[in-house]
Amino acid sequence: MNDRIREIQRVMDASSYVTDKEVATAVYLATALQKPLLVEGHPGVGKTEIAKVLARVLETDLIRLQCYEGLDAAAALYEWNYPRQLLHLKLDEHSTAPLAEREQSLFSEAFLLKRPLLAAITHPGKAPVLLIDEVDRADEEFEAFLLEVLSDFQVTIPELGTIAARERPVVVLTSNRTRDLSEALRRRCLYLWIGYPGFDKEMAIVRARVPDLSERLARELTAFLQSLRRLRLDKTPGVAESLDWAMALVVLHASHLNEDLIRDTMGCILKDERDFQRLEGELAAGRLPAMLSVAG
Amino acid sequence: MSASVRQTAATPDLVDAVVQLVRRLRERGVQTSTLSSVEAARALRVVDLLDRDEVHHALRVVLVSRPQDLALFDEVFASAWEPTGGLPQPMPDLGRLRDVAPPERRAPRLAPVTLQNWMKPDESGDAADDSVPLLAPSDDERLVSRDFSGYSADDLDAFRRLAQRMARRLALRRSRRWKAGRRGRSIDLRGTMRWSIRTAGELLRVQRRSRRIRRTRLVVLCDVSGSMELYSRFLLQFLHALQNGFASVETFAFATRLSRITGQLRGATYGMALRQLGRDVRDWSGGTRIGHAVSSVVRDHAALLGRRTVVLVLSDGWDVGDPVLLADAMRELRRCSGKVIWLNPLMGAHDYTPATRGMRAALDHIDVLAPAHNMAALDALVRQLAI
Repeated sequence: MNDRIREIQRVMDASSYVTDKEVATAVYLATALQKPLLVEGHPGVGKTEIAKVLARVLETDLIRLQCYEGLDAAAALYEWNYPRQLLHLKLDEHSTAPLAEREQSLFSEAFLLKRPLLAAITHPGKAPVLLIDEVDRADEEFEAFLLEVLSDFQVTIPELGTIAARERPVVVLTSNRTRDLSEALRRRCLYLWIGYPGFDKEMAIVRARVPDLSERLARELTAFLQSLRRLRLDKTPGVAESLDWAMALVVLHASHLNEDLIRDTMGCILKDERDFQRLEGELAAGRLPAMLSVAG
Repeated sequence: MSASVRQTAATPDLVDAVVQLVRRLRERGVQTSTLSSVEAARALRVVDLLDRDEVHHALRVVLVSRPQDLALFDEVFASAWEPTGGLPQPMPDLGRLRDVAPPERRAPRLAPVTLQNWMKPDESGDAADDSVPLLAPSDDERLVSRDFSGYSADDLDAFRRLAQRMARRLALRRSRRWKAGRRGRSIDLRGTMRWSIRTAGELLRVQRRSRRIRRTRLVVLCDVSGSMELYSRFLLQFLHALQNGFASVETFAFATRLSRITGQLRGATYGMALRQLGRDVRDWSGGTRIGHAVSSVVRDHAALLGRRTVVLVLSDGWDVGDPVLLADAMRELRRCSGKVIWLNPLMGAHDYTPATRGMRAALDHIDVLAPAHNMAALDALVRQLAI
């Protein structure tokens, strides 16, 4: 095994991010080959977490850009601080300085609001980790713009000139696959798919993240979630839900799972009325023991 | 561990092995870019070549870019990569057919219906006992001119109003993006600032901005073959209203061949449009060759497709053509368009599963498979029409 990969896995473990070699290898390659890493998977399987842990591994800052529909360059890259500019103009009204000079002072870095992409490019010191979260929620115009930024990590601001990154940020993109990303973006990236973890891995995650949960309860909870994912639910719970639930059970001082407890805390793992009913049906049919057995 | 020894430049053998692997992946239908061999070779320079798992993970991260290819990659890698050094063994011909199931793609959701419930409000769940017997697809191209005058227009008014409402909503969908201009609800500070500089900082003009209107084009492919006979009149009525309410709709009818009927549906009253269609669409109510129809749309009307286009296929999936052709055509169609929605009026009887050969072949290349069983179902469709 490559020493760096082992090191990455060790730091991830130390950060309570239970992972496997596949994730560590992908993260390592992203840094070694200096390519963006596209992480896809169902909601709540720890995609965003990868970037956070990676920043910890590299001992650098994390800069996050949350994508949404209609996200544009002004919100992702930079914007001028207009209210401040206006104020400055008013205060400076009777200045005798030549107009060109006044304009230049108005469009200097002091009035520049750096949004995540520009912040990542101009980041002083060690190259940061740039997390572009849920890129599938942004539209295609933004994707095209992103491609441009990701290819050479430099931006041109008409008033200031071209700004290039001294060191390329390590880029992690996540997607929930609500829409297909463009071929061009996929090609530019390394690709990592994160599925739902198996029993052993999920158990390890729960134990690492919620150490107060007894082993017995962790085992029952994990088995239950593994069974739950085999039902055809509208919103299949991810690991994030397992952890929420585990924490709720700790707060409730629960000692073991039973039907009443599950009914009372169902809201931690299921987020849809129809899924409630489906689970209710399973419980009513007396399938709880089967759902709690590890093999089942 | 003497990592430095192993992390030398890729040897010619290794490069060769990578190139072979990429070729095999392409043969099996995995989409890889032209540069991927180079990237893969670069990746191998920085990992431990004696650790087979590590090589496997690294190559997968580099060479695969979509989840449905993961299982296929694992299979090809397992059979093609020599455990110790990377040189592939001579490989048996694996054939082009992709027999590996893609990872847990959920079957689109179904809702129970029958034709009788078509015009009724929702809650059609239990009424599916006496469903209409299906007509089997006919193999020959029946060149029948149909007389539509017998169709009554009762009940269709409500239907038409719905289509018009849909069309209006579709046409007026606002984007989340801004457009600068003299009018608009909110102030565009950037533009205002720019203007004030021209007047030495004096605010003489306030620039405004408004939401852009999102233009979505709709391309409708309507199956008018024999097995769809019972539904065609509703669907055509629907299309007619849609066509006249919303500018960017292109409509095609198909059974064994494809006819563009946008012109016939536009402008005229529904009755006139029907008469015109009866004259122009020759194989009305014949058998269906969906694959042909879809591929000729992709081939001959490519200009209509694009990322801003929603393609609506109205068909029951009874296909007498080659399912492989249909699957290929649907894949192409999806690649070229923003979204592919398949409306299947048969998604009716609560025991419906997309079991017809055609439907199964197409299933992997559809974004939304929805019922078109009643007004409520069509109403719900509007949300899906957005890209």
